Amino acid sequence: MAIPGNKDTRDGVLFSLPFVLIYLFLLVFPIIFGLCISFYKWDILSSRKFIGLGNYISLFKDKTFYTSLWHTFQFVFMTTPILMVAGFLMALFVNSKSLLRGAGENIFFIPYVLSITVIGTLWAWLFQKNYGLFNQLFMLLGHAKVGWLTDPQKAMWSVSAATIWWTAGFNMILFSAGMKQISAEVYESARIDGAGYFRILKDITIPLLRPTIVLCLLLQIIASFKVFGQVFVMTGGGPYGKTRVLIQYIYENGFTYFKMGYSSAMAYVLFLLIMVISVVYYKIMGRDK
Amino acid sequence: MKKKILFIVALVVLVLWIFPLVWLAITSLKLEEDVLTDVFRIFPKHPTLQNYAKAFSSTYILKWLWNSTVVSVVTMILTLAVDAPIAYAMAKIKFRGRQILFWFVMAGMMIPFQVIIIPLYLQFNSYGLVNTLSAAILPRLALPIGIFILKQFFEGIPDELEEAAFIDGSGRGRIFTTIILPLGKSALATVMILSFINAWNDFLWPLIAISDTAKYTITVGIANFQGVHGTDYSLIMSGAVIASVPQFVFYFIFRKKIVEGIAMTGIKG
Amino acid sequence: MKRKSLSACLLVLSLLLLGTVGIGASGSQEKDVASEKGGPIEITFWSLFTGGDGEFFDAMVDEFNRTHDDIVMTTDTVKFDNYYTKLTTALTSQNAPDVVVIHRSKLLNYVPSGTLYPLDDVLKSVNAPMDDFIPAALEPCTFDGKIYSLPLDVHALIMYYNKDLFRQAGIDKVPVTYEEFVATAKKVQDKTGAMGAAIDNTTATYKAYTLTRLFMSFMEQQGGSVLTEDLSAADFNNEMGEKALQALVDMVHKYGITESGLDYDSSVAAFKLGKAAIHINGVWATGSFEKQEGLDFAAVPLPAMLGKPAAWSGSHTLAIPAKKEMSNEKLAAAVEFMLWMTERGDLWAKAGHIPIRKSVSDNPNFQSLPHRKDYAAAAASSFAAPRTVAWDEIYNNLSDSLELAVASGQDVKTALAEMEKMVNSIIASY
Repeated sequence: MAIPGNKDTRDGVLFSLPFVLIYLFLLVFPIIFGLCISFYKWDILSSRKFIGLGNYISLFKDKTFYTSLWHTFQFVFMTTPILMVAGFLMALFVNSKSLLRGAGENIFFIPYVLSITVIGTLWAWLFQKNYGLFNQLFMLLGHAKVGWLTDPQKAMWSVSAATIWWTAGFNMILFSAGMKQISAEVYESARIDGAGYFRILKDITIPLLRPTIVLCLLLQIIASFKVFGQVFVMTGGGPYGKTRVLIQYIYENGFTYFKMGYSSAMAYVLFLLIMVISVVYYKIMGRDK
Repeated sequence: MKKKILFIVALVVLVLWIFPLVWLAITSLKLEEDVLTDVFRIFPKHPTLQNYAKAFSSTYILKWLWNSTVVSVVTMILTLAVDAPIAYAMAKIKFRGRQILFWFVMAGMMIPFQVIIIPLYLQFNSYGLVNTLSAAILPRLALPIGIFILKQFFEGIPDELEEAAFIDGSGRGRIFTTIILPLGKSALATVMILSFINAWNDFLWPLIAISDTAKYTITVGIANFQGVHGTDYSLIMSGAVIASVPQFVFYFIFRKKIVEGIAMTGIKG
Repeated sequence: MKRKSLSACLLVLSLLLLGTVGIGASGSQEKDVASEKGGPIEITFWSLFTGGDGEFFDAMVDEFNRTHDDIVMTTDTVKFDNYYTKLTTALTSQNAPDVVVIHRSKLLNYVPSGTLYPLDDVLKSVNAPMDDFIPAALEPCTFDGKIYSLPLDVHALIMYYNKDLFRQAGIDKVPVTYEEFVATAKKVQDKTGAMGAAIDNTTATYKAYTLTRLFMSFMEQQGGSVLTEDLSAADFNNEMGEKALQALVDMVHKYGITESGLDYDSSVAAFKLGKAAIHINGVWATGSFEKQEGLDFAAVPLPAMLGKPAAWSGSHTLAIPAKKEMSNEKLAAAVEFMLWMTERGDLWAKAGHIPIRKSVSDNPNFQSLPHRKDYAAAAASSFAAPRTVAWDEIYNNLSDSLELAVASGQDVKTALAEMEKMVNSIIASY
């Protein structure tokens, strides 16, 4: 709200200042530093050597860079739609009148509380080919063992399944917060007009929730592009690099082989990519807001 | 009838959803030798607390839990202090540069954290901050997702409330503390939970920034349960349980606040 | 007025946040003060031993502290796959501890940049019994004539076999050649239903390194090596390489003695539970197999399947990071600790590792350990990874390629040609 005669700009700056300072100091500065590193060949122990765009040139010739990027895209396409729909359905459920809605809210959200290491190890254990629960059940039912994490056709799906279990509850919270802002009177009058459940869903809930959906989808895409931990713990990028995602490749180059410059260069390309996708997305989706 | 079917479907989904966690707890109660052979038993053949005994005999585990608590609570409080004002500014104050600020915050979410770790480490090292708990706290204070949740919530608060307060002679600061913050309780609680979880679960950064075992956070500490040459699942699961219980407790304490907050705004909004 | 006070609040908060930066600054200086006082010298130490290895290692450090009043060792353990990340970052900022564990194959990542302390002078001043070390173990720690670390052990790739299953299948001879190996595994498999040879060939929690280690061993057994002598290019795209890779592929596809898609944990578990006749792994598995009740097994050097005996091996070594100030007493204490650890190789051998000091091999404590002396000979025919900074990346990528070749039963010539191209481009990137 604009207060007449008030110095809005001054207030805006003051209210933003603590965050902006933190941000400049702990994020923007390292990011610029990282950008500088991307022009060097540097193992962080020896002295660095300036090679200009050398790192960027070699990454465009690097086959593993492209396959890793492709795997990241695969993950984004596999998880984003399901996570959106699952989060939405969960939110509908916890906002319904079901007796189980309270339990639902807790149960759906709780996996999100756990750390990536715990999630990764737990699901790697469930999916374990010879001793994991799923295959033991399959074998009990007379089905052959499935290479959940070792079959290149299935590994990424398995990682996606674990991710969905882990983070769908977060989307539920976002959707649920949005749903709770829709006032009861709107529903009331719709019901008086004789609209059924699905009609209300289609004509009231979803349109009114549009800003939340737009935002949630954007956040989800960004988060999915940054996938790393669960892949790293569950498959280590295997079988034979078939689930290696871009951040894993960035991590390996930076923290295992200490090719800091090369690693930074790749991270910048990913950063730019996410940025472009987000801006384009926002321009399209936010247009008629 | 339809209701009953829906109820049963919901019940089944919920049971399946919680099952991996139950499985986690069960596995942690098994003997290492039984883990591979005794897969099916819901109740372990030889239920044992030996994994927990082993975990706790690692002298530092209580210290790690304490460190994690300190780091997470301080992070949570400071995050709110930093994020709430800017979220309010972005939601309600029409000032120049608002749009730029929005994209500025947005961009921060898009950068893979791995890329700034080394610069951040060198930066922290030059201030002598490496190997202190502040090192684990500071980089987590800017929580863009928190700003979004708060901004979105604050936008939903009707302008009339602010206008009324302004007519009564309140300034921005007073409006923020007496109207916005109390009304935003549920959003604030959500952000609290998120920042707590984030700080608690952070792994790579504290691993690098903190070098003494005694100063580890629990997430970094229990990672050592994974052997070099083979996985002792039951031990790892017990570590996972130990590291997760405080988070569950925290979640359940503040969850109530969310519900209360939502109920309140429901009435007023 | 009210408005002003909040503005002030926000400003103060901003300043506070910047101020926190200053507060922490005092933290890092505390440590060095303690060592200046009389008391015992405190030596800090990082290791990467977790799980079974970790238990034995911690016990050794405890034993050291118990028997040394003048030195206190404080150990920090870091999970193996993050260890070097942490070590390297710490080295850049002089935050590394006094003594660290470094794998032999990683030394080259640290020595050239001057981050490790050359030990010759200190070793001489404490009269270290350097002739007691097996030269083959000490040599890889030496660069330009200077010793940069002391080996703690050698861990070679060896072969485990289940005696019960062998007996049931009527096998009384340990296989040596590839043909014998396959025939034995097949026979046990056919007669008992157990897996013939549990050799991991796919990545899960762990990378399928056994394949790479076997491939390297097979090359050496034929007198070859994975890289050329000057380490400038791959040297496996030839007849030897074809034979080596074919041997790996055939185990799964032609003879079916190994399950395809077997991961490391499963292969260990299969052998542990008596469901596999033969298992190939490093010596480190010995300790956990011994703990398994009802498992009657033997451990022998890797059979010379494709020619002469040769087995991949690694080595844990102990080094001192170069720091700005390190007093002579501290250096001497650190070296004393390192020497003591190598001297008590009999304790470390409990974890399965092969000692590298001659006196330890003769030590009755070591002699009385089961299995160890059966495979101790493996050290003699073991070889180290090529000495190039590019090795880590080559090793990991070779592992992926070999996994692909074995999983898909790829034509070995195509596979090797691709691997060669990849290895050469990795070398060129350093």
